[in-house]
Amino acid sequence: MAKKHKKYFNKSLKNYFPVFLLPTLIAFVIAFIAPFIMGLGLSFTKFNAVTNAQFVGFDNYVKIFTDPNHDFLNALIFTVLFTVVSIVTVNIISFAFAMLLTRGIKGTNFFRSVFFLPNLIGGIVLGYIWQLLINGVLDIIVNSDITKSSAYGFWGLVILNNWQLIGYMMVIYIAGIQNIPGDLTEASAIDGASPAKSLFKITIPMVMPSITICMFLTLTNSFKMFDQNLALTGGAPGKSTQMLALDIYKTFYGRIGWAGVGQAKAVIFFIIVAIIAFIQLRATRSKEVEQ
Amino acid sequence: MASITLKNIVKTYDGGHTVIPNLNLEIKDKEFIILVGPSGCGKSTTLRMIAGLEEITDGEMYIGDRLVNKVAPKDRDIAMVFQSYALYPHMTVYKNMAFALELRKVDKKEIDRKVREVAKILEIEEYLNRKPKALSGGQRQRVALGRAMVRDPAVFLLDEPLSNLDAKLRTEMRSQITRLHNNLQTTFVYVTHDQTEAMTMADRIVVMKDGYIQQVDTPANLYDHPCNMFVAGFIGTPRMNTIDVKIAEKGGRLFAEFDNYSVLLPERMQKNDYLKSYIGKTVVFGIRPENLHANDKYSDSENTNKIDVHIEIAEMMGSEIYLYSDIGGVNIIANVPSNKKVQSNSDVSLYMDTDTIHLFDKETEKLICD
Repeated sequence: MAKKHKKYFNKSLKNYFPVFLLPTLIAFVIAFIAPFIMGLGLSFTKFNAVTNAQFVGFDNYVKIFTDPNHDFLNALIFTVLFTVVSIVTVNIISFAFAMLLTRGIKGTNFFRSVFFLPNLIGGIVLGYIWQLLINGVLDIIVNSDITKSSAYGFWGLVILNNWQLIGYMMVIYIAGIQNIPGDLTEASAIDGASPAKSLFKITIPMVMPSITICMFLTLTNSFKMFDQNLALTGGAPGKSTQMLALDIYKTFYGRIGWAGVGQAKAVIFFIIVAIIAFIQLRATRSKEVEQ
Repeated sequence: MASITLKNIVKTYDGGHTVIPNLNLEIKDKEFIILVGPSGCGKSTTLRMIAGLEEITDGEMYIGDRLVNKVAPKDRDIAMVFQSYALYPHMTVYKNMAFALELRKVDKKEIDRKVREVAKILEIEEYLNRKPKALSGGQRQRVALGRAMVRDPAVFLLDEPLSNLDAKLRTEMRSQITRLHNNLQTTFVYVTHDQTEAMTMADRIVVMKDGYIQQVDTPANLYDHPCNMFVAGFIGTPRMNTIDVKIAEKGGRLFAEFDNYSVLLPERMQKNDYLKSYIGKTVVFGIRPENLHANDKYSDSENTNKIDVHIEIAEMMGSEIYLYSDIGGVNIIANVPSNKKVQSNSDVSLYMDTDTIHLFDKETEKLICD
């Protein structure tokens, strides 16, 4: 009887499926799909207000790549370089912290919270705080500041990004490391593995899913970085430390008549991020099956 | 091949909790020794100390003639099989077995030869390219054994290796491990909480409780001559019946009195002077279920060993029947051949085989005589 009732209930619920979906669907269409399609359309137009857009074909895209300053290309190279360095440093340091904090040392919980805190601070605030800190140090050591050299800006951004992301990645690594059965490390110790061998042959392969997740999180976070970039260097000196998102923002709002080009850059940016996301999805999926 | 000597071994955890207060044990070369006891008795801790996975707080441990207190696990020439098998999930069966040899930089051809040889013995050749998750419990168990075997260690340590298997497979693996020990001629130290495993496989059994060794002996001796009530109760299923009795002397002969019964003690106990000091005192009378017979041919000359009981439950086990009854509030189990047709809720007479009884001190729980 109960089973029959349940079946009936399930069936009737299924009929109402579209109704339940509708509110979210409407919100998604209004706030996401519509602006996205409009934005895509606008990238083929010249406009200063959405209402006076004139179709210009691929002009905006051509402008991006024929720009004598190569703003977009420079930003792309800078972003990729910054992202690669961040992926390496963030993941190595956060993994090392996670290893340290899973050894049952006293105060482990305190340190875990402390390392996680930077992640809770907004990017703009963080950017200005680090600007003060880095400028203070540069002033003492080389009598300079962060806007004077693109190298200062680059490494300043890397430090900031590390400081912000390490805690978050560390938490993911801690979860991964704690999931490794203690028996395995003991078995490897008896089998004759030194701590270093055990790390490379057992621990790292066992936390591979965490490593994939963390690498892609660092990748997307670094690639899409905007507010920290704006607050810390603002692109200075010149536009040499300008990352993609900041370049798009400055093209769109900073150059009169170039809104359409900014829009076109945003579309390219979207395509790059979408490709990364797609690869990420594939990679994490295949790892899940592996487990 | 090696003997193992544990001298005054103490294990205290950080925070001052002592699990092993003082342990002395000699394990002979090529011996199959089983540590058995209830959970928390310190048997696994002892094994882990032999493995080097647990630091020794005090005392001396020798493998062969070598003091190993400060020797790392990998340098002790031991191999261990874990309860969870602890197979490396990201490696194939082949890699799992080859791992230890690779770390020792053994020649690739030699590794291949060893792995295949062991795989053949354990009948896991066809799984060599599989990962552990694609194997059944029994196959994983064999891989875990194989991983230990390829190394030709001086000592095999096995920590409840059969606990995760179903009953049928456990019985099969039991004989396989015994055979393995016979073929390898290596020292085996095996931990289990299952007394059946201990009884069937061991050369000698170490019965432990609360960190203390209760008795070390061969399975037969442990069964026939338990040194205290704990060992008597722990070894053997169903467990030994224990009844509080009073030792009485009548006409120069000793009797065990309980309820309305007065059982004449056997000849060897009559001569025991130590037992005489218990006259008038309460002691614990122990008799194993299979020594309670439902057949009157076991009646003694004066019929003092007969007890009349009401069988509450008769459990048919196939070749035998377990009879559950109650004497003066004490549960009594008898194990009789199943050709005796005894039903639940029936009255029967049981005859105690007094030649097999044990008497224990009620206070110290130690054996008085058997």
